[in-house]
Amino acid sequence: MNQFAWTPTNPPPMPVPPPLPATLEFTGERKGFFDLVARGAGLELITLGFYRFWLVTDVRRHLWSNTVIDGDAAEYTGRGRELLIGFLIAMAVLMPIYLGYFLVGIEAERWQALASFPLIAAFYVFGQFAIYRARRYRLTRTIWRGVRFWMDGSGWAYAARATLWGVFAILTLGIASPWRAAALERYKMRHSWYGDLQGDFEGRGWELFKKVWWLWPVTPIALFIFPLLPFLYAYYKAVEWRWWLSGIRFGEVRVQSTLEPSALQGLYWKVIGWSVLFFTVFGILIAGAVPLLTKLSEAAGPDAVMQTPAMIAVTVIGYLALALGISVVARLYLSRDLWVRVLASTTVTGLEAAANVAARGDLASALGEGFADGLDVGGF
Amino acid sequence: MAGEPAIYFDGTSSRRRTATLAFSDALEIHGDEGVITRWAYADIRRADSPSGTLRLSCQTAPALARLEIRDAALAAEVTSRCAKLDDHHLGRRGVAKIVFWSLAATASIILIVLFGVPLAADRLAPLVPEGLERRIGDVTEKQVKLLFDGKVCSNAAGQRAFTKLVNALREQAGLDPSVQTAVLSSPVPNAFALPGGKVFLFDGLLAKAENPDEIAGVLAHELGHLKHRDNMRGLIYNGGTSFLIGLLFGDITGSSALIFASRTLVTASHSREQEGNADTFAIELMQKLGRSAKPMGELLFRVTGKEGGRGLSILSGHPFTEDRLARMTREHRPPSGPPLLTPDEWVALKNICRTGSKV
Repeated sequence: MNQFAWTPTNPPPMPVPPPLPATLEFTGERKGFFDLVARGAGLELITLGFYRFWLVTDVRRHLWSNTVIDGDAAEYTGRGRELLIGFLIAMAVLMPIYLGYFLVGIEAERWQALASFPLIAAFYVFGQFAIYRARRYRLTRTIWRGVRFWMDGSGWAYAARATLWGVFAILTLGIASPWRAAALERYKMRHSWYGDLQGDFEGRGWELFKKVWWLWPVTPIALFIFPLLPFLYAYYKAVEWRWWLSGIRFGEVRVQSTLEPSALQGLYWKVIGWSVLFFTVFGILIAGAVPLLTKLSEAAGPDAVMQTPAMIAVTVIGYLALALGISVVARLYLSRDLWVRVLASTTVTGLEAAANVAARGDLASALGEGFADGLDVGGF
Repeated sequence: MAGEPAIYFDGTSSRRRTATLAFSDALEIHGDEGVITRWAYADIRRADSPSGTLRLSCQTAPALARLEIRDAALAAEVTSRCAKLDDHHLGRRGVAKIVFWSLAATASIILIVLFGVPLAADRLAPLVPEGLERRIGDVTEKQVKLLFDGKVCSNAAGQRAFTKLVNALREQAGLDPSVQTAVLSSPVPNAFALPGGKVFLFDGLLAKAENPDEIAGVLAHELGHLKHRDNMRGLIYNGGTSFLIGLLFGDITGSSALIFASRTLVTASHSREQEGNADTFAIELMQKLGRSAKPMGELLFRVTGKEGGRGLSILSGHPFTEDRLARMTREHRPPSGPPLLTPDEWVALKNICRTGSKV
């Protein structure tokens, strides 16, 4: 750990900004994180999902507070209760919208069958709004050296950009996607602040395109040859992370990532491997329970035994255990380990520009997170 | 015991200041130029930090002011003085509270699904304005016709026979003439009622029928759905349970499978009940006309075959066909009234979808 050199009579002067790039390190123990998500998944099942607000908060608190930038750890000050309230408010807003959607849909369908389809597009726009507002919530809960990050800009302006770029990307069959990502990231980062230090994004669509263009013809093939798909996805995610991180700026502070394109392959395959294992165990459990229960209950046959309460109980419990196992594994590898690898590849230069930043910005409500939860477009 | 290493952030700027601590009646934080601030012990709270670092905040200081202590001995010293250090943390009791209220919410949602929603559906269905119901019916009609690629059959002689049969049933059932019925040219052996008083019969079912009573029973069953306004009740019921069950399982991994499974279970039981009631209605209606519903059961059995042992009965939206047939056989009375169609009319009805002149 970071032992501070110190002499009692002569306190050290203000630390001189290091000339070398500042390092980022992760100090959290894997075991601790595992315990956290395993316990959280159990509670999530007991509470039928309501614990998710607290679990997601605990995961973020662990990841944030163990992310050490230039010797000082970040902090996440969001709380589960805020997410719960955001979710409840979002529900109150979404319910009449769903009802209105239903009624407008009837009118549209009366005019022409399946005419209500474009209304789904309205939900896409709303989902983009939710993504922006949820990011704002998370950012305003992110603290480093006693100063918070924050965001201005408008969720609706972002949603409009995301939708128009989305239409453009569809019209170009996905070729415009890198430019869409760059444009949206620019909007998000230029409206992100650390105290009074404004963010910016210097990643170019073209740079991303150069690295991923070959995925465009290969992906349709991979859809037919299953094992290829995770390789492509893991490659894409690694390239995207590197491109995204290397584009981040806060004033003179520059982030740089050297993440290898193959760096995330192992993580995705581990999740797949564990999931296959869990499914196999689940299958064996069901396959083994049928003859056993047939014998015990003296039912007429395998079909009859499927209807007995004992068999239904075995299936439901097995299924819940399966879901629990996969959620723990996914969080362990794809939230924590992925973050650790990404962090290890990242350096920050020009941090002296952030040495004396004045605090600014207010807290944003968790309403966006609530919408994101309600619309299933959640982020980290 | 002054002069231990600590780092202080004042919460108004990101300036990192080395500080020394002094313990008096409050925690004194000293910087290069003397006392920076004093934190009352009772106001000091623990903030998240990496292991090996004690990070503190103070309720009366700026919200983001932080004091970081990386020396274990000093951290222990501070901890021992701050009695309320972890007061704001979600402890075991906090978690127990979340679990309790979640379970309470779950129980109330389950009770609403089991008792509240069916009640609401029964009470609300008659209150739905006829205009709205008709609109919903128009929408489903369009979708159904699109889905089954069905054209309305209107062979004149067949249409006359069909109208005669439907009118006999409808008048006996006490339904007003706004009921719309038609035969659709689809090979699927089925019939159904839509909201707003629409009954459709597929040609595929006519092809499998051997006498007018078989078709009359099926139509009587569908008129039963209209009479009970089962469509609106089903719509309110399905919408309500889908929403509530979705709310209940929220975001558990694989929740969509759970939502789908539990919704299927719940709505299937509701639908079985409605089907049973429509069968009762059909049996009574046929008996009032001096006919029997048993031929209907035989037609259904011819279409589906024996269903038991093939699927889960609790997942099925209908009672098993053999059970329906058994029931209709039990209620069977020998016909006492006149046939509903003459042999010629029956042939015409069977051929309603043939467009040529050959009857």
